[in-house]
Amino acid sequence: MASDTSTLRSSTLQRPAAFRSVGRSILLTLPIALWALLMFTPSLRNAGRDEHIGALVVIVFMTGLFFLMMRTGETYRWRRIFFVALGFLFPVGFIAALLAERGSMSIPISRMVSGDTPFCFMVTPSIILPAAFAKTIIFPGSIVSSGSHPHSIAPMIGIWLAMTLVLGKAWCSYACFFGGIEEGFAAFAKRPRLHRLVVRYGPVLRLIPWAILVFVVLVSAAIFEPVYCMWLCPFKAVTEFPAVRNVETAIQMGIFVALFVGLVVVLPLLTMKRTQCGFFCPFGAFQSIFNKINLFEIRFDRAKCVDCTLCQTSCPTVALSKESIAEGKTLLNCMKCGACVDACKKDAAVWHLKGTAVAVKPERARLLFLYGAWAMATMFGGSILANSVATMMHWLPGK
Amino acid sequence: MRARILSILAYTGAGFTLLVAACVPFVLMGVFSNEVAHAGLHIDAVYTGGAVARTIQRNGYRIVVYQPVQPRMLERIEPFVQIVFEPADALPAQVNDEIDLDGDGRPDVRVSFSVPADADAKMRGDVTALNGKCVSLANVSDQSFSRMVVRSGNKIVVRVPVR
Repeated sequence: MASDTSTLRSSTLQRPAAFRSVGRSILLTLPIALWALLMFTPSLRNAGRDEHIGALVVIVFMTGLFFLMMRTGETYRWRRIFFVALGFLFPVGFIAALLAERGSMSIPISRMVSGDTPFCFMVTPSIILPAAFAKTIIFPGSIVSSGSHPHSIAPMIGIWLAMTLVLGKAWCSYACFFGGIEEGFAAFAKRPRLHRLVVRYGPVLRLIPWAILVFVVLVSAAIFEPVYCMWLCPFKAVTEFPAVRNVETAIQMGIFVALFVGLVVVLPLLTMKRTQCGFFCPFGAFQSIFNKINLFEIRFDRAKCVDCTLCQTSCPTVALSKESIAEGKTLLNCMKCGACVDACKKDAAVWHLKGTAVAVKPERARLLFLYGAWAMATMFGGSILANSVATMMHWLPGK
Repeated sequence: MRARILSILAYTGAGFTLLVAACVPFVLMGVFSNEVAHAGLHIDAVYTGGAVARTIQRNGYRIVVYQPVQPRMLERIEPFVQIVFEPADALPAQVNDEIDLDGDGRPDVRVSFSVPADADAKMRGDVTALNGKCVSLANVSDQSFSRMVVRSGNKIVVRVPVR
């Protein structure tokens, strides 16, 4: 199996370097370049030098990566560069903002009662039932933004809903800044050490996020507490967490750190998979539902497929099974990262627009998907990256 | 024929998705945010303290007494009443107030705390129950959502468990 992964890497590297001509690639990249300019220039009118540099870096970065997608025909490799950058730079900007505002990553109870906790999309499944049936949001934030509550609930849900219409489950590979952290650790490994374990137990492991989703939704509604946020979120370890003030909050902190180290650092390094996303994240499971209403998907041309399982090996979240490949489909939790398409030597794995014939015009489907996905990535992830770059510029010596 | 119609619908849908993507930052985010903001939702009373019951004016500051917050379903909190002293910068260095929580004209608790000059300093205070309606708290700081004396912006928030 380790050799499978080596083959996968070499197959990715051996793809033709020039899928498209430079001129045609530039033409296809132009809409994204204009979009990036449109996203970042209006907000820079009263901004400082560091913000200008941050925006410029992101415009060049996002446009450049899209150009490479067009030029090489590969999606996963270039998307991963953006996504890992997003994952590793998001905490930089976020933690810097927390330290500047309150001098600590921990959120004291006084901040919770004043509604100062930034709202995170991961808590969305936990709040759904109380919001629907009791009109109550069980999160210590604010519903609308104001000066002291800039990251409030309504705007965050608004962004998530609007982007989900475009991305579906692809939110997890083009927008989720947390996923980038484990994708980064997964990319560090030379070869997977626990690959057999993942293959053997994959069918069971991929059900765990659904179980956690059901648990989190029901228990949160029963105890009127965002259970995932308070007890199970690995990313509290690199963002913010309830201040340790008693045994319960100390246990919570211990769980956050253990889950982060285990699921986001160690297991991705050992398996080369996004283990938190694939085997734990209830928000990811929730987001999978939106794949049903999204028009874009990955399909397999059975006439070309030789059942080499390279696609299965390459999938970061175990969203493929032998059965699903035999049916020419991915599983519901496919996040459309493009790893399987890029890995397939026979061009059997293809981008597909629902309602059209499979493998007839896969590049057209890929383009249509990527324009929407990259536009969202540039708008959302790009603004986070620009903020983080500007933050780092502030730290440069002589500032 | 069916395949052709499906294909036309699919490409129309894909075009619509791109249109939606273009509208996200300019229209849709705002529309969805407004919908959520105006959906009649409110933050759980455990965090906000609930609805205001009455305001008591003191010399230079006011005391806002909230209605008791009761746990819902299996919620893991003690029932409590929130009392807010504001503005914090108008409070005397030492506050010692008897407060009528239920509006029956008789004081139910005595709240005492020092107001630190440093707004970020950790606060501590005492709550003495004057009858059986509340629980006394000694040297309380930020023990839980039901038991606290904390500074939150320009307010001092006191929460007292009620029986």
